[in-house]
Amino acid sequence: MSLEGKPVAIVMIEDDEGHARLIERNIRRAGVNNELIPFTNGSSALEYLLGADGSGEVSAGRQLLVLLDLNLPDMTGISILEKIKNNRHVKRSPVIVLTTTDDAREIQRCYDLGANVYITKPVDYDNFANAIRQLGLFFAVMQVPETQ
Amino acid sequence: MLVSKFNLMRATVSFVAVGMLILLGIVGLSYWMLDRTGQSTEELIATRDMRSRLVDLLSVVQDAETGQRGFLLTGEDRYLTPYTVAVRATDEKFDALRRALARQPDSEQFLSDLKSALDDKLGELSQTVELRNGGKIDEAMALVRSDRGKDLMDRIRSLIGGRREMVEARLNRAVIAQRDNALILQRSIIAGGILILLAGAGAAWTLTRYTRELVHARSELEVLNFGLEERVKERTADLERANEEVQRFAYIVSHDLRAPLVNVMGFTTELKASLEPLQEIVNDPVVQELPRIAEAKAAVETDIPEALSFIKTSTKKMDGLINAILKLSREGRRVLNPERVDLEALFAGIEGSVQHQLQESDGSLVVETALPTIVGDKLSLEQVFGNLIDNALKYQAADRPPVVKIRVRPQSDSMVMIEVEDNGRGIAEQDHTRVFDLFRRAGKQDKPGEGIGLAHVQALVRRMGGQITLASELGKGTTFRVRIPRNLRFVLERLGEFRG
Repeated sequence: MSLEGKPVAIVMIEDDEGHARLIERNIRRAGVNNELIPFTNGSSALEYLLGADGSGEVSAGRQLLVLLDLNLPDMTGISILEKIKNNRHVKRSPVIVLTTTDDAREIQRCYDLGANVYITKPVDYDNFANAIRQLGLFFAVMQVPETQ
Repeated sequence: MLVSKFNLMRATVSFVAVGMLILLGIVGLSYWMLDRTGQSTEELIATRDMRSRLVDLLSVVQDAETGQRGFLLTGEDRYLTPYTVAVRATDEKFDALRRALARQPDSEQFLSDLKSALDDKLGELSQTVELRNGGKIDEAMALVRSDRGKDLMDRIRSLIGGRREMVEARLNRAVIAQRDNALILQRSIIAGGILILLAGAGAAWTLTRYTRELVHARSELEVLNFGLEERVKERTADLERANEEVQRFAYIVSHDLRAPLVNVMGFTTELKASLEPLQEIVNDPVVQELPRIAEAKAAVETDIPEALSFIKTSTKKMDGLINAILKLSREGRRVLNPERVDLEALFAGIEGSVQHQLQESDGSLVVETALPTIVGDKLSLEQVFGNLIDNALKYQAADRPPVVKIRVRPQSDSMVMIEVEDNGRGIAEQDHTRVFDLFRRAGKQDKPGEGIGLAHVQALVRRMGGQITLASELGKGTTFRVRIPRNLRFVLERLGEFRG
């Protein structure tokens, strides 16, 4: 997963550090070696993505892929998704929603807001590990646009 | 205070009875009065008759005397004619008078007095007439002058006059009595009329009061009823809200429980994976000389894998429970879809899905009565009866093939009751409510299950506005009775109303 010279950074917004660790391990096992930037709450993630002023200019020129959990302590993943998809700088960055919820309405809402992929975390670890690894394989062939 | 039905009847009946009695009294009185009037009229006629007889007799005697005088004066026969006519008439007139006076008490004396006076007078008259006839004018005149004839005549006049006065008095009395009778009748009719009116008014008043009380009671009942309806609405809305909250709560909790479970399961697997190199190392001859190598070996090869496997089964179980809660709460949130459901077809479908189990155990599913078509949520109904039939086959008695009977019991117009009866192992009395609780099971725990089936069934039935009860005897079998509305749409409309 790369463009000439510019590595793609994976922004992981996940409040459960255990989950974050398991996701990271399995992505690495799939051979993805890109930089992984973890956040455990919504506000610090938004600050990184959109800057302190919220304009999103800080992300200009970055190549980002967002892994988003919906259950966060300070805000819902939905509102983060909304902010990303409504910001002209980062709106093209792929957002992969990775959460425990498999409620049909929630899934619909995320796609309506512009989520690129929605994955339910399987509780069974073998399936979980498998899913993350496949995601990692998917990353390897994915094209990520540069933010403007 | 309300007039009781009995009191009302008593009051009305007594008023009517009083009215009838008064009416009867008036009729009786009128009859009696008429009778009396008839009597007094007869008496009046008789009295008048007496009077005219008296007058007639007097006039005949006077005629006779007048004729006698004329004959004495003129000696002409033509004056004698009135005399003879009158004398002849006298007897007839007297007899008439006698007849008229026949029933009068003191008439005998009067009649005999009058008779003798009359006879004397007639005798005197005929004596003078005969003397004159014989040419003895002077003797005849002397007889007249003796005043005997005048005295007799006076006597007759006074007798008849006295009698006439008596008769006149009687006549007056009879007229007065008749007038009194009429007056009494008139007054009693007026009084009776007033009494009947009063009785009627009394009955009308009682009825009016009763009716007013009825109307009042009805309006009070309406108010109460309305209040009750409002209260039921409020309560139902509260319950609905509470139910929704519980479901939302269950949903959120189960999700939040899942997240840590992912970690537990994930890291357990990671741990197991990490164990592999350690297991290799402890068996390396290089480390066999290290102190405590035996303990390390035991830990790596048996203790830690055993602990991990316990953690794994426990988390698996917990995952199952969380999924069950999630399923229940999701069912509770599912929007019910009322449609026409042919229960015959529904049970045929269920029979098809348990065919394998039936064949395996040589069991049968019997639909005993014709099943109606109702308006309900097909999926919920399938789950309810599918679960019940599944349970009936799952918990069959060991010594006999399972027989499941389905039948409909007549209920009200709006409800239908479906019974699912089995000949399985039955449920002990103390477990009759417990079996509906979540994660609770009863009897021998020899079949897999999480204890959510009946809890789920009960939740579904309640959501459809119904009830589920059971009757069971341990070792004999169980009958589940599902009472559901014939039209789910009405139930949903009512709930919609409550929410609105």
